[in-house]
Amino acid sequence: MCDDIRIEVENGRIIKNENGCAISKAKFLNHHDDRIESPTVKKSAVSLEEAIDKAVEILASAKRPLIYGLSSTENDAHREAYKIAETIGGVVDNTSSVCHGPTILGVQESGEAAGSLAEVKNRADTIIYWGSNPQFAHPRHLSRYVRVEGEYIKDSKVNRKVWVFDIRKTISANIADEFVKLAPGRDLELIGALRAAVRGHPLDVEEVGGVSMERITEIAEALKGAKYGILFFGLGLTQSKGRHRNIDAAIRLIQDLNSYAKWNMMPMRGHFNVAGANKTSTWQTGYPFAVDYAKGYPRYQPGEYTAVDMLVNKEADAMLNIAADPAAHFPRAALKHMSTIPVINIDPKRNMTSLMAEVNIPVALSGIECDGSAVRMDGLPLYLRKVVDPPEGVLPDRDVLKMIHGKLEKVVK
Amino acid sequence: MNDIGVNVVLTSGRTLKQGQTMEMGKLNQEYFEAVAICEVDKSTLEALGLEEGDPVKVETATGSVVVACKLDRRAEPGIAFMPCGPWANAILDSDTIESGMPGFKDMRAKLFAAKGKKVPTAEDLLRAIMEVP
Repeated sequence: MCDDIRIEVENGRIIKNENGCAISKAKFLNHHDDRIESPTVKKSAVSLEEAIDKAVEILASAKRPLIYGLSSTENDAHREAYKIAETIGGVVDNTSSVCHGPTILGVQESGEAAGSLAEVKNRADTIIYWGSNPQFAHPRHLSRYVRVEGEYIKDSKVNRKVWVFDIRKTISANIADEFVKLAPGRDLELIGALRAAVRGHPLDVEEVGGVSMERITEIAEALKGAKYGILFFGLGLTQSKGRHRNIDAAIRLIQDLNSYAKWNMMPMRGHFNVAGANKTSTWQTGYPFAVDYAKGYPRYQPGEYTAVDMLVNKEADAMLNIAADPAAHFPRAALKHMSTIPVINIDPKRNMTSLMAEVNIPVALSGIECDGSAVRMDGLPLYLRKVVDPPEGVLPDRDVLKMIHGKLEKVVK
Repeated sequence: MNDIGVNVVLTSGRTLKQGQTMEMGKLNQEYFEAVAICEVDKSTLEALGLEEGDPVKVETATGSVVVACKLDRRAEPGIAFMPCGPWANAILDSDTIESGMPGFKDMRAKLFAAKGKKVPTAEDLLRAIMEVP
């Protein structure tokens, strides 16, 4: 999420996005395309009130409702979703369960060595991207925070060294100073070997995870020699074999390195407010994702109350999806179950979930057609401005969810 | 269809075009062209007798999907890549190992030439999943 884009509006339409990356430009300049044109129930156009009544009927009669998404909307909408979950005794999960959920589990196990992006820009001389391809997923990350002058970094080419650890030579690996190619699914072992080398006890083996022990020792010495190091890590670490154990190990590596140099780490988050979804969920429910209100109070159990598991285990009997597209991003078995239960989809645009939803409710695009707040990948909250009006009659997520919650409170005992 | 396959580790992730076209609309032709693909190295294309853009069947223990093959000049044999999205997820194992997270990054897969086969649209994929009892 960038905080420096300049949007030019003419006659109620966005005509220019200055500073934004290719993804940001596509989002802002095409915000009016491919919209859900009207609330629908079973593909027939209805009024907003009728769609909300149907959503309330589905949620109130469900025994094990699942509320999912939230990462592409602003924080105030999240609050209403948690209220709905509490009122109906449902499960509420956000998209972090299929992106950086394991990061949170790792942090809960081993702590968090967190820093801000401003620190990286001004101080970092050693930068690692592990299992992350920022040139594609976060196109301005390198140019804003790494390949740029900072307070203590006069020449980013000379004073900074960029490392990429990946199983493929990605476009980011191509422009890094050092590329370490590791074997698929062997991150945990490589991190363990690096920790041993950092502590001065290189393992008595030829190679670990596709990297020679000699190279691992060299890398360990380079990382110990940093003045300020940062480990950016992506889904290559959280989604591969080991999941949260990879993150746990990476945190411990960073803790070890802090005996020699200042080191921090930061997940490369995806949806613009997925970090916000974790924050607001923690503020409101006590837990960052995978929260169950079935007993009237929040319980937390990733692997059970996470959306994919709730669907694959055929537990959920209704689903309220907000600002995400699970039908495009969940495995086939989860979709199969989604197709057998009523799905209520709240989203500005047509997508795969809208195709299978029983109820579709169009909403305003957060940060374009309504204001709000969101959280950047380093935890910094940012205010989102409204730049154009939404289509006529289309409300922000928070208002639609508030209406659903208001009606649910009256019908759920 | 050529029944000689190539074993690969299939990984999925973001691409710039996937990110751009997703913002334009997931049911659009641009998204289809950017995401319904499988990137492989030159030797894999040659082994399968495929030209760039030809259909390739990607098969895992979960199922199979036909997508267009694409040459990745930086790639090495043994690893194939698909942009994250409906096509990669159609063959993704749903086991989360009690973590909530399926294994998007390291699927064991086999590639087959699929000349003459149609690459399904997002709607086709959804229909197929919903129709199977």
